Amino acid sequence: MAEPLIRMTNIRKSYGRVQALVDANFHVNEKEIVGLLGDNGAGKSTLIKVLSGAVPLTSGDIFVRGKKVNFRSTSDAIAEGIETIYQDSALVTQLSIARNLFLGREPIKPPRFLNRMDQEAMNVVARDLLRQVGITKNIPPTTPIGSLSGGERQAVAIARAMHFDSDLIILDEPTNNLGVAETQGVLSFVRSARDSGHSCIFIAHNIHHVFQVVDRIVVMRRGKVVADDIDPKKTTVAEVERVITGMSDKEIRDAIADGRESHG
Amino acid sequence: MENRSFIQRLIGRSEFGPLVLLVVELVVFWAINPDFLSPQNISNILAFTVELGLIALAMTLLMTSGEFDLSVGSLFGFSPVLMWTLYNSGVTSLEVGLLIALIVAALIGLVNGWFVTRLKIPSFLVTLGMLLVVRGTALFVTDGFPQRTWSAEGSWLANILVGDFYVGPFRIYASLFWFIGAAIVLGYVLTQSRTGNWIQAAGGNPNAARARGVNVNRVKVGLFILSAVMASLAGVISSLRTSAANPNSGTGYELEVIAMVVIGGTALTGGRGTIIGTVLGILILRVMRNGIVLIGVPGLAYNIFIGAIILGMMALHSWLERRHQAGT
Repeated sequence: MAEPLIRMTNIRKSYGRVQALVDANFHVNEKEIVGLLGDNGAGKSTLIKVLSGAVPLTSGDIFVRGKKVNFRSTSDAIAEGIETIYQDSALVTQLSIARNLFLGREPIKPPRFLNRMDQEAMNVVARDLLRQVGITKNIPPTTPIGSLSGGERQAVAIARAMHFDSDLIILDEPTNNLGVAETQGVLSFVRSARDSGHSCIFIAHNIHHVFQVVDRIVVMRRGKVVADDIDPKKTTVAEVERVITGMSDKEIRDAIADGRESHG
Repeated sequence: MENRSFIQRLIGRSEFGPLVLLVVELVVFWAINPDFLSPQNISNILAFTVELGLIALAMTLLMTSGEFDLSVGSLFGFSPVLMWTLYNSGVTSLEVGLLIALIVAALIGLVNGWFVTRLKIPSFLVTLGMLLVVRGTALFVTDGFPQRTWSAEGSWLANILVGDFYVGPFRIYASLFWFIGAAIVLGYVLTQSRTGNWIQAAGGNPNAARARGVNVNRVKVGLFILSAVMASLAGVISSLRTSAANPNSGTGYELEVIAMVVIGGTALTGGRGTIIGTVLGILILRVMRNGIVLIGVPGLAYNIFIGAIILGMMALHSWLERRHQAGT
């Protein structure tokens, strides 16, 4: 079998005495959308932070296309083609769409010593990218991010990852706080990212959103990956919920009933 | 959105409010006392405007990156004292003394930046501490007395920095060209250069900037150094122009400079800054200080007007911001 795009083996991460990840194994194939699910505190966020270089791992190995890597910062992960999009922290609201798209990688107009951004080129590319991710409204690329809706902001962040040829785009709760139409928009951006050759990790609390878009579901519980090959086309939401909680149907019903009693 | 008329775009800019206020000030003072626009008075306003203005320009960039510097007023007093002390004691020439004063200021800026970015202490506390250290040093070194200053007339250094000449009836100091040059260069850096994009991102959302590989700490440390060096240069220019080096000079300038910057439309919280606005803010406060004396209002009432202007302009900027967010 071909080497996956990303392979993480025996990942351990502890914060003091708390074990956030316990020998977690995880992989993402080329051109694949993986849904990462788990209850609060299951270790999803920690796994993503390790993969995006935001926190160092305690032990274990990460391979990108079979090559062992050592991420000391998010810049290291970006250099290896791994881009993480957090809902609220990905963009600078005061800057324009074009300036956000190119932040940190602004094209420079000659002569280079003047350090002058090529704003026309940035605007042209930005316009093109907005169309590619399906924003058909006539939004000028000089518009500040602050005046865009939540869904449009996600689109800009995804467009940026696509433009800079990130191999893996990690979306952390991209559909939180979005309306129905905007959620559908974000899901279609994710599909268009895969269709143009990118892989994605999709983390969401709403399992229905995950089912609509992913190729494979991975479930984490108590710092471990407990299922990594669930096919959403051959599984039901209820079955995945059982894997997430680790309880049988009866146990889930009892837990809900207990909750009602204690609240009542 | 792209088809808005020129007038609509002008009104929508954050510099529009300060521009209107400046025009109103000029008209009111001139109507009450026509001498306000006399060549002599305009020359006076410009001479002193430049010195605080240099500090305000650097502070604009620093505040856009989300930090500010309270130690600029103390550096304004300390640097000339250091330069003249070195010169008077025969250790160095005046030129080398200036160079040493600027290098010491850069080191002070570096320390400010290091404390803020590495130790994660808010710039308010770091630069407040530095204000006391620098002012205290200036007072200690001089025993609180002004330094003996040599009349700098004729020295090439004085000619370059504060040499004066007449354009018609207007007396112009060379420092005005330094100020205009600094405004053009820093305006260019903030709006056109890649560094300007990083400065705005560092103030607007430092985590997003870091995630894109922008070295936020280096940007901020660089701006602390710029702010300190500009305050030092402004102090030396003022000292050469007035032939005085008082360890207490510059007291309270830090707040006046910050007021100039925020009146111009730069956000105290970072992410948004404008050099044109700051130039307008500088003129608004200097014209106010000069004008109220000229129309016979007691000089001690100056702060009342400044306070009112700050409150009024903040209300205006906040209203414009909310209007902008609402997309109208």
